[in-house]
Amino acid sequence: MIHVRDLHLSIGDRPLLKGIDLQVERGSVWGIIGPPGGGKSLLVKTLCGLFTPDRGSIRIDGVEVCGLDEPALVPIRRKIGMLFQNNALFDFMKVWENVAFPLARLKPDLDEAALRERALMRLREVGLAGSEDKWPSELSGGMKKRVGIARATMTESPLVIYDEPTAGLDPVTTSKIYDLLEKIRQSTGATVLAISSDIQGLSTFVKNMMLVHDGQILFKGPLPALQECEDPLVHQFIRGLSEGPL
Amino acid sequence: MTRLANLLASIGAFVLGYVQASITLISIAGRSFRGIFHFRGRAKGEVLNQMYQMGNRSLVFVTVTLGALGMVLVFQVCLQINKVTGDQSQVGPEFIKGMIHAFVPILTAMMLATRIGAGIAAEIGSMVVTEQVDALRMTGVDPIDYLIVPRLIASTVMTLALGLFAMVVVILAGAFMAHTSFGVNYNVFFIFDKVLPGDMIIGVSKLIAHGAAIPIVAGYCGLTATGGSQGVGTATTRAVINASLSVIILDFIISAIGLATVQKVG
Repeated sequence: MIHVRDLHLSIGDRPLLKGIDLQVERGSVWGIIGPPGGGKSLLVKTLCGLFTPDRGSIRIDGVEVCGLDEPALVPIRRKIGMLFQNNALFDFMKVWENVAFPLARLKPDLDEAALRERALMRLREVGLAGSEDKWPSELSGGMKKRVGIARATMTESPLVIYDEPTAGLDPVTTSKIYDLLEKIRQSTGATVLAISSDIQGLSTFVKNMMLVHDGQILFKGPLPALQECEDPLVHQFIRGLSEGPL
Repeated sequence: MTRLANLLASIGAFVLGYVQASITLISIAGRSFRGIFHFRGRAKGEVLNQMYQMGNRSLVFVTVTLGALGMVLVFQVCLQINKVTGDQSQVGPEFIKGMIHAFVPILTAMMLATRIGAGIAAEIGSMVVTEQVDALRMTGVDPIDYLIVPRLIASTVMTLALGLFAMVVVILAGAFMAHTSFGVNYNVFFIFDKVLPGDMIIGVSKLIAHGAAIPIVAGYCGLTATGGSQGVGTATTRAVINASLSVIILDFIISAIGLATVQKVG
């Protein structure tokens, strides 16, 4: 599904991604962890073409993303659903309009009633029935995450990216969110990339993990192998130790 | 030697930054003008909504400010003329001509540059820093088509409409002041013989150009906002300054072209 080779990206004169190599198989579920500012969000945004890399190759479903202009990126982005770190809900739209927006762009022939009906169905699935006519500013943090998840999965894209789906949420809501993500994944069979700082919660949802630090992938592989990784930085990070290279 | 190299590098980076910014601004302007002619990506009813936000909500602001300015201007002119010749017969015709081709377009546009320009930059800037613009791009929406084009159309139409309305307001306010304070007869004030078709063409051209420039410059400032709320604040300030500067520059250019061409038409 995703093939990344020797990906480099600088912003200004600061190199932020330094030779990323990555292969994600269709239907697999990957967690992306790492210290803050290591390049996790930047990596997934670059995969979507939101940043232009300095060099390297990104292929999604066999199509090269690097070097494409905005109109050429549209068909690739239609294959991707994304929950942004800050939810990125459109504050000038009601909840149901936010959720329906990607579908309205994908299927312009659907009328407002049909779009609303589909959005309401998705909102019920994420436990937000009755919130459809609220504005994003009227929602709690957990509700905003749910709306973001509903929007990201509305078109049932083959690739879904969740950037910090549980950041700032309490343990119970976190657990419910991961259950919800798993339920949606099972129903759609989508390939998933999920960024989180909550390794424990993330481990209940993903099968594979990669650790990104300083623009490089220090570890990638199945979840059990992460515990056995001998890299001192990985060791320190996953155990939350105060002593170590970090 | 190192100091000189550092200085040259700083100058080079400064110039390159401006060149890059100019290219981006020109690109946004080009894509915005192209976007007017197709409906791809534009939200339904957004142009009318923006026209209401920009036009109706600026009406009182423009009317009060320009009405007051018109009265002050006429009062001062009449006062000075009284000290010299006392002949007020030319105040009205000259005032009307000056307002139509010079003062009203630039004053209306400067006022809208602050009100509309700040609003556009703050709105789009906050969408950028909260990743809403990225979310739009992820759904295949071009932020320029979706955010700037409706504002460009609305601002152009409403700046023209407000400018024409302001011309009427300022002339009426000026006439009222001349009549009540200096006894100038309305028949003497309202002489339009000096207003040539060229004056009207220049006035209207300026209003259209200024109305188009404000959302493009402000939209560019919003789209290039970085960071958090501080970045939005900086973008808003840049938008007001740059939109006002663009209005002044365009005004000079159109005035010069107008003087050389259409202002003599009559």
